[in-house]
Amino acid sequence: MTRRLRTVLALVATAALVPIAPAAQAHHSFAMFDPTKPMKFDAVVQSLQWTAPHAVLWVAAGKVDSYDPGVWSLELPTSPANLAKMGWSRNSVKAGDKVIVEINPMRDGRRAGQFKRATLTATGQVLSIGVIPGAQPPK
Amino acid sequence: MIIDALLPARSRARLSIALVLGLAPLICAAAPANPAPTRADWTTIADQPDLSGVWSPGPLDKYGPGGAEAPHWLPQVAQQIDALKGLDAAGRPQNIYINCLPEGLPSSVTQNLNSVEFLVTPGRITILGELDGNRLRRVWTDGRPHPADPDPSFSGHSIGHWQDKALVIDTIGFLPEVFIPLSQGVGFPNNGDMHVTERITLTGPDSLRQDIVVDAPHVLAAPWHASRIYTRHRDRSFDLAESSCREGDFLESTDAHGNAVFVPVPKDAGGATLPLDQANTPSKGTHQ
Repeated sequence: MTRRLRTVLALVATAALVPIAPAAQAHHSFAMFDPTKPMKFDAVVQSLQWTAPHAVLWVAAGKVDSYDPGVWSLELPTSPANLAKMGWSRNSVKAGDKVIVEINPMRDGRRAGQFKRATLTATGQVLSIGVIPGAQPPK
Repeated sequence: MIIDALLPARSRARLSIALVLGLAPLICAAAPANPAPTRADWTTIADQPDLSGVWSPGPLDKYGPGGAEAPHWLPQVAQQIDALKGLDAAGRPQNIYINCLPEGLPSSVTQNLNSVEFLVTPGRITILGELDGNRLRRVWTDGRPHPADPDPSFSGHSIGHWQDKALVIDTIGFLPEVFIPLSQGVGFPNNGDMHVTERITLTGPDSLRQDIVVDAPHVLAAPWHASRIYTRHRDRSFDLAESSCREGDFLESTDAHGNAVFVPVPKDAGGATLPLDQANTPSKGTHQ
């Protein structure tokens, strides 16, 4: 079993313990994230959810400010179709990578946020939302 | 069937034959065919402006919030718009695309952030996109009129023709719920009778301009004019990708039999992905 699969299974096992929010709501405004209180913290990559309409970087972190340790959902502002044109791939990060993430946190205090940037600790490589020539940049 | 209950078998058979015979001429008369394309049809297309390739929609600079190009709402609508803007600014967007229904017009022109491809073939232009589970819109260029009573849809019924070097598109038949958008978090339903006209022109070797006029008499005080500039990409990395609007609602997993399955990801009221252990209970993070 791959490490990534184990991670996903762990996430699913956790999911089984809690009620799932009923509504399915994919494409959405990012107004629930607070750009005036950006955060930056150390984390370990769990997986890069390579899905439309928003890719999601799942990371695990210890205690961050008043947030309890746990898994964070960091939503990228666009889809794999656009991210690929910006130089990303579904293999841009892998499970276990140590990263420093920069995010706009969710206003209600849950461990979720808008992904702004990640720096790979091992190489110093910075992953940020790129640009597509001539295109309106995502948020 | 009610008929089954009311009529004996022989009568039912007679009735069926009568129905088929009676309807057949109607079906024939109401079903004009799409003719097979001819060499001349393809030659005509070859001489028209070349819309091929994948186009990236540029900045929404023609109608910035509060700008001169913003829609002019009817007074009673403007009040509701102000309330929606307030909710969006407070982090409680009344999402206009949250349910993954197709965006429809005019959003697929004015709000779209994904690539667009035009397929020009005899009798129709097909506009593809990378949202809505891969958007498909048909513009009929075979000279047909709008139906007298089109089935309402998200993108409406579109007919187009070339006016010199400009593709002019006329669209009616929208669902009244389809939004006229200000942003991804603020929009307003057209409330019926919306009429959209578009004008698409090449403005350079790899640039295209799309002018759109939205007339929605139940919500707008005057037709709304907006424009979008697109940049063409020939690089294969820009080829349209599959893009399901619902895929992000699920994680890939394995069921008890070892089969690959999708499991739902929890979301907040605004549609943001949540940690699985915090689906319903906010933690004690700094933003409470």
